[in-house]
Amino acid sequence: MIETLGTLGTVRVGLIVAFTLLGLFFSFVSMVGVLRLPDVYSRAHTASQADTLGAGFGLAAVALAVGWEGAGFKSVLLLFFIFVTNPTAAHAISRAAFEEGIVPWTEGDDRR
Amino acid sequence: MWWVADADDAGGPVTNDAGGPVTNDAGPTPRSTVVVPVEPSPTLRATVSHVAEAAADGEFDAIHFVEIASWRDGDPGSDDRSAEARRVLERVSAWAEADLDDADGDTGDDVTVVSALIGADEYLFGPEDYVEVLAEYAGEHGADTVVLDPEYTPVGNTTLLQPLEFALSNTSLSVRTAPVGRPTRPERLRSEATGVRFAAMFGLSLAFYFVLGDPLYWFDWVTGVATATIVSITLSRISFDADPAIPRTPQRLVRGAIYVPVLLYEIVVANLVVARVILDPRLPIDPTLNRVRVIVGSGLPLMTLANSITLTPGTLTVRARDSDLYVHSLLPWAREGLFDGSLERWTRFVYYGRSAARLPTPRERDDHAILQGPDATEELPIAAADGGATGDDAGPEAAADAESGTGDEGVTDA
Repeated sequence: MIETLGTLGTVRVGLIVAFTLLGLFFSFVSMVGVLRLPDVYSRAHTASQADTLGAGFGLAAVALAVGWEGAGFKSVLLLFFIFVTNPTAAHAISRAAFEEGIVPWTEGDDRR
Repeated sequence: MWWVADADDAGGPVTNDAGGPVTNDAGPTPRSTVVVPVEPSPTLRATVSHVAEAAADGEFDAIHFVEIASWRDGDPGSDDRSAEARRVLERVSAWAEADLDDADGDTGDDVTVVSALIGADEYLFGPEDYVEVLAEYAGEHGADTVVLDPEYTPVGNTTLLQPLEFALSNTSLSVRTAPVGRPTRPERLRSEATGVRFAAMFGLSLAFYFVLGDPLYWFDWVTGVATATIVSITLSRISFDADPAIPRTPQRLVRGAIYVPVLLYEIVVANLVVARVILDPRLPIDPTLNRVRVIVGSGLPLMTLANSITLTPGTLTVRARDSDLYVHSLLPWAREGLFDGSLERWTRFVYYGRSAARLPTPRERDDHAILQGPDATEELPIAAADGGATGDDAGPEAAADAESGTGDEGVTDA
């Protein structure tokens, strides 16, 4: 593992580490958001954050690490599908909540 | 079939002015006026004959053929589409005149044939919109009957006739479907699925298969062609609303490629703002539900816009009710950004080109509303129906609402 990293070049390794850390950071923020935010609608905001930038930076790091070949190309495709399906799923969840008649939490609401 | 009526006599009292219908020699109207929405369809010719026969029998004394525009004036290509629509209307009027002449000398002569293109000043979404435009036109021209072509499907491949009939039954108009032979289902499938859409779907799925597989290995060719065939047979009707066209589709792809980095930038900025708020110990959020009326076409453009809004943290599309988007915003900052409409302009740029992207923001158009909190300007559409899950009316009606896009029925008995 160390030897393969050595052949990648310092800049590339730096970018991979940076992307991984950014992905971890946004996934962490998303987790905190799901725990802290009050209702289903606001949680859907932050849950989609984990997908867009958390998984986004993670997959970008993977693509950089494996290079422009089969697996790297597939991770770019994965990213594309996540960007299409993630908002659709968030919309489906919030719409289901809306049709169940769940009123979004506002300032001063005691549900929390 | 188009050439049948072109043979003779297209010179009746057809009024085809660009501005709309001109009713001529309006005398006393002992008989009634009929409105026929038209669209190129396999049964259009037979429907026209049916209406003309009924008129010749003395049932109607004026026939209004209307084409309801599925586009909006000012869109790129709208000129071509209205020109095409007017050609269809001219042809239909010529058919009707010919049928009236054939039918009977006496009564056929006093039947007025009028044609009009309506509804081009706004985007129309569900059947309700179509019926509204139709009913308005009927009211203006004193018509009390609507005859529908059984294959009338104004929005691409969506089968609209049944919801259209249902929506029409709520108006004072009397409605009937022309009793003409409906082509069998397979024929209909064939007419929609062949050609460009099939080829596009096939090429796309084969290309995707080879991205995952190996285009140099014969076995992947066999399985890839088999897979692509199955995919295009089952999905080409669903995946494409309209045939991919040569200048338009590549243009959209290129403009979409320009949009992607812009969207990524917006996503990163919004992510950072939202991340700061979430990690703030005070959690300074101020969520509200909002309504924005957007000016993008139904289908793919609307989906692109709604998904872009959801992808940007801080805004979440909850409902798309025709052109009204119900968007939940986490922060006032996100809400203001939404009302500034930059994503709406970008979506219009991707689908309609640069000139169409210059339009006032939703705030300037007054197409926005806050539905909750101290700044609320409009009532929350579900506030009256809260606890809908406990009542016994939550099931099928909610599902029907979801299908038809109107959510008003569920509120009434709360």
